Amino acid sequence: MDSIETFIEKFTEAVDFQEPVPLTAETDLRDLPEWDSLAALGVIVMCDMEYSKTITGNDLVGCVVLNDIYKLVS
Amino acid sequence: MAQSTLKNVKYVGMTTCVPKRILSNIDDCPPHMQSERERLVRNIGISHRRICSEWQCFSDLAFVATEKLLEEIGWQKEDVEALIVVTQSPDYLIPATAIILQDRLKLTKTTIAFDVNLGCSGYPFALYILGCMISAGTIKKGLVLVGDKCATVIDPLFSDAGTATALEYDPSAPPMYFDLNSDGSGYQAIMLPVGGHRQPTAVHHLVPHKDENGNWRTEAGLILDGPAVLSFSTQQIPPAVNHLLQYSGYDKDKIDYFLFHQANRMINETIRKKLGLTPEKVPMTLHDFGNTSGASIPVTMTARIRESLESGHKTLLLSGFGIGLSWGSCVIEIEGAKFPELIEA
Repeated sequence: MDSIETFIEKFTEAVDFQEPVPLTAETDLRDLPEWDSLAALGVIVMCDMEYSKTITGNDLVGCVVLNDIYKLVS
Repeated sequence: MAQSTLKNVKYVGMTTCVPKRILSNIDDCPPHMQSERERLVRNIGISHRRICSEWQCFSDLAFVATEKLLEEIGWQKEDVEALIVVTQSPDYLIPATAIILQDRLKLTKTTIAFDVNLGCSGYPFALYILGCMISAGTIKKGLVLVGDKCATVIDPLFSDAGTATALEYDPSAPPMYFDLNSDGSGYQAIMLPVGGHRQPTAVHHLVPHKDENGNWRTEAGLILDGPAVLSFSTQQIPPAVNHLLQYSGYDKDKIDYFLFHQANRMINETIRKKLGLTPEKVPMTLHDFGNTSGASIPVTMTARIRESLESGHKTLLLSGFGIGLSWGSCVIEIEGAKFPELIEA
């Protein structure tokens, strides 16, 4: 399993931020300017392709901080 | 459906017609949304789309495509025994658009004409339905017209197109192999909830309001659950394609082109990578034509590989998926078929 740092790198690429954003495991997803439906699609694809985990839109709705998504793929 | 094989059906030719009007997802959006829109275009892979003029219907595009196709393949109007229209953009709720087109195209009154209500999965289903009628030998020549008018200025995904495909009875034709499926439990993933008998249109459905993302919409607008559609497509299509390859006995390397419904870049790239296919074998038209619903497979055949398809024997795997939920794939061999240049109308 990837470290949280590697996961954050992959998450950053999946969301495709327009400006660099400092991220940690405790970053609140609602504070991210690009945390929208497009980001959700990118993260679902990333979880599937990188971690072979099928997660749904509802799974993401239940995530508050970045670490919650990490737990889904761990 | 379990997989199925159709014999005696020859793919004679196909024509695509798109509207002249081109929308740019970047240039035709308000300046304050430019940066956000550029991110969207990067990810969905759709730069330009085609949109009908106000007066234009899907059937107008399909009519032009059909006239050109009949001219190219040398069929007479009286040769056509069946006309099947696969669309979710009929001229009217009733009667069926296929019957109106029978008269407009000056086909005989003995023509079997009816509509099929399918969207993005429609092309393999269209070949199967007409193919079944022809395979038995009772009908010798028929047409399927597939496409939709689904573009709007605001929505960055959808684009308009109409296509016409000709099939005929030929005992020497190679078999066509199909795998067609439906899952109505996901019907709410893509739907127009208002305007049918379950929820007739009322005045309050037409009043715009802001949704949770701050976008203005009405209750009568299209619902599209992006994550649900993405999960469905990327989970169902790769195994369906592998099952069909196994059933048909074709090795992946023997397929010249894999033509997938053009949904969006994320979905299409995920499917391609899961199947281990090279980009060269998977033609795409998302960038220039967007998501043209059921027409997207024939649009891609015309716009990207028509010369290759006319140059000699080719084996194709076609796979459509989407609204319903519905998904269908087929393997067909093509040789000597006509693929006229893209028509703009």
